[in-house]
Amino acid sequence: MSGLLGRNLRTRLTVFYASLLAAALLLYAVCVSTFFLRNLREQLDSSLDRDLETVEAILYVSPDGQLQLRSHEGEADEDELDRGYLLEVWSDDGRLLYRSEQLGDQPLGQVPKVIPGHSRESAKSLQFTSGMRVRAMSRLHHMPDGKAVILRLAISEEPLWREFWKMVAVLGVGLPAIVFLVVIAGYLVAARALRPVDSMAKRAAEITADHLHERLTIDNPDDELGQLGTAFNLALARLENSFDQLRRFTADASHELRTPLTAIRSVGEVSLKKSGDERYYRDTIGSMLEETNRLTLLVDSLLTMSRADGGHVQMNLTPVSLLELAKESASIVEVLAEEKAQRLRVDGDSSVIVRADSTILRQALVNLIDNAVKYSPINGSILVNVANNQESAVIEVHDSGPGIPIELRNRIFERFYRVDKARTRAEGGTGLGLSIAQWAVATHGGTIEVQGEPGRSSIFVIRLPKLVTRTTTMSKH
Amino acid sequence: MLILIVEDEPKVGNALREGLEAEGYGVVLAPTGEEGFFHASSRRFDLIILDVMLPGRDGIAVLNMLRKQGAQTPVLLLTAKDAIEDRVLGLDAGADDYLVKPFAFAELSARIRALLRRNKAEPEGVLAIGGLEVDSVRRTVSRDGQRIDLTAREFDLLEYLMRNHGRVVSREMLARDLWKETVRATPLDNVIDVHIARLRRKLDDPFSAKLLHTVRGVGFTLNEEQS
Repeated sequence: MSGLLGRNLRTRLTVFYASLLAAALLLYAVCVSTFFLRNLREQLDSSLDRDLETVEAILYVSPDGQLQLRSHEGEADEDELDRGYLLEVWSDDGRLLYRSEQLGDQPLGQVPKVIPGHSRESAKSLQFTSGMRVRAMSRLHHMPDGKAVILRLAISEEPLWREFWKMVAVLGVGLPAIVFLVVIAGYLVAARALRPVDSMAKRAAEITADHLHERLTIDNPDDELGQLGTAFNLALARLENSFDQLRRFTADASHELRTPLTAIRSVGEVSLKKSGDERYYRDTIGSMLEETNRLTLLVDSLLTMSRADGGHVQMNLTPVSLLELAKESASIVEVLAEEKAQRLRVDGDSSVIVRADSTILRQALVNLIDNAVKYSPINGSILVNVANNQESAVIEVHDSGPGIPIELRNRIFERFYRVDKARTRAEGGTGLGLSIAQWAVATHGGTIEVQGEPGRSSIFVIRLPKLVTRTTTMSKH
Repeated sequence: MLILIVEDEPKVGNALREGLEAEGYGVVLAPTGEEGFFHASSRRFDLIILDVMLPGRDGIAVLNMLRKQGAQTPVLLLTAKDAIEDRVLGLDAGADDYLVKPFAFAELSARIRALLRRNKAEPEGVLAIGGLEVDSVRRTVSRDGQRIDLTAREFDLLEYLMRNHGRVVSREMLARDLWKETVRATPLDNVIDVHIARLRRKLDDPFSAKLLHTVRGVGFTLNEEQS
């Protein structure tokens, strides 16, 4: 199809419209010609009619019994008779009484029959053997002596056809010329209309991973091409965003990996230079192993995340009581709160059940509560609350920490993002805790967000889809 | 006890050999799958430690061949890829256990002991080191006849250390075996440290001889001698 119509859209469109136009014009030409021909014939017929009347008026029988046509002045004039009229006169019993000399042996149709009640016959076109086309009309005529004869008069159609073909010729030249002009104009217009596509394609081809900040220029955002361009630009923006995140992630990850590596290296190099007792070397090696553990933890976290990204995590979904899970998670980190003399309370509705993989969801909760303990001051308090609202099951983790500035609230879930860079690293965090929590919640179809007042507290809110319990409906039976 | 190690990375292989020899095992080290298979089919080993990623014939293939020959030797797989498919593949091929690299040596040592004493029942009843007595049935602890009250978690921790006394226990082992945490990404290290500190306060602080020691960078050990 595309081979037949040309490869590019512009040609295809032009060819399509041109064919459509040509077909329409052809139809138009046929209609006009037919109408024109009919019109010409009607004119011919009415003049034939008039001529017949004239012939009736000047026809007479000469004394020698011959049919004669009188001249206008009343004189017989053979020439007159033959000048324009192609005439046949038939008796009502089918005998040929007269035929113009011009006709020779050429009859004007078959032997006429008198049909009672009909005094005339409608006009007919015929073609002589010589090729001449004529229009013939018959009429019943009563001679003065009361005898009925049939007059049949014909006029040449040649002028009519000449007229007709002239008209066809005009159409035949004019219409293709119009089509041609329209094709050229259409092609140019299509080229103009599609020029933004060309420029967009060129520009899009130039956009590589290094130039994702570039955008397509859009002349008119409201037309179809503008919409396409806008959609493309939005896609570019999203792509740029993920690329940025990935780039930042890679940079951050290598930075995070470099920190323990640097420590291992410098500790090793320094203690090689110095000489010490066994205790000193043991201490050095221990210090290096600590950093190794940190690297291991980091790599494991990264692995967890990348497997999560790849969607390779198998979920073991069971109905889980959120309050139980929250209590279990809190009990793990409870000792840390106790060390800081903090109050850690888990409260809420014990009937809140969700379908979850408790191991994965527990990771989210442990990370959040661990964070809350970390950021709440000594003697502070932490509250974990479980509740059901209309749409979802909700867990809130309130802390009494410094809170998170509103402008940073979206970023804290980014990998390796730290509000207070030096502090968390010193406390041994990987910078991935909240990302892992977010993933763990998202993988259950839930959301996580931060609320609270900056400067006074943070509230991490997890919303999970409620379990549609079949047990309640079954108990009704 | 004779152990075969099939590991292509020389540093890792030699470290494992030295470590295991220090624990009193006899060790044969094979750097390729083919050599490993040759050793395994020509001598009797008590245990085979098999790296999955080997040049040439990989660990799984070697394991398959060994099992086809009818060898019942326990096999511990070492895998660098923490992928579920890998584990399933290994366990299907007849591995008895697996360990994901990088692992702590203490962990490896514990796994080896577990595999070697398989089918042997855990000692029940009272465990004792020096003056410390732990009754795992009644869940009571006393030192030099003095009763020590422990929380449930502290008791589990102490019992675990007792069962592994004289050896180092890593935080990862504690997280997995006591906290049942399969994912190392969960922040448990601080939690474990706090529990150890509390246990130490109750166990060692009132006495002059210290039993619970921290081995920096590695883990904890319960030991009569000062380290």
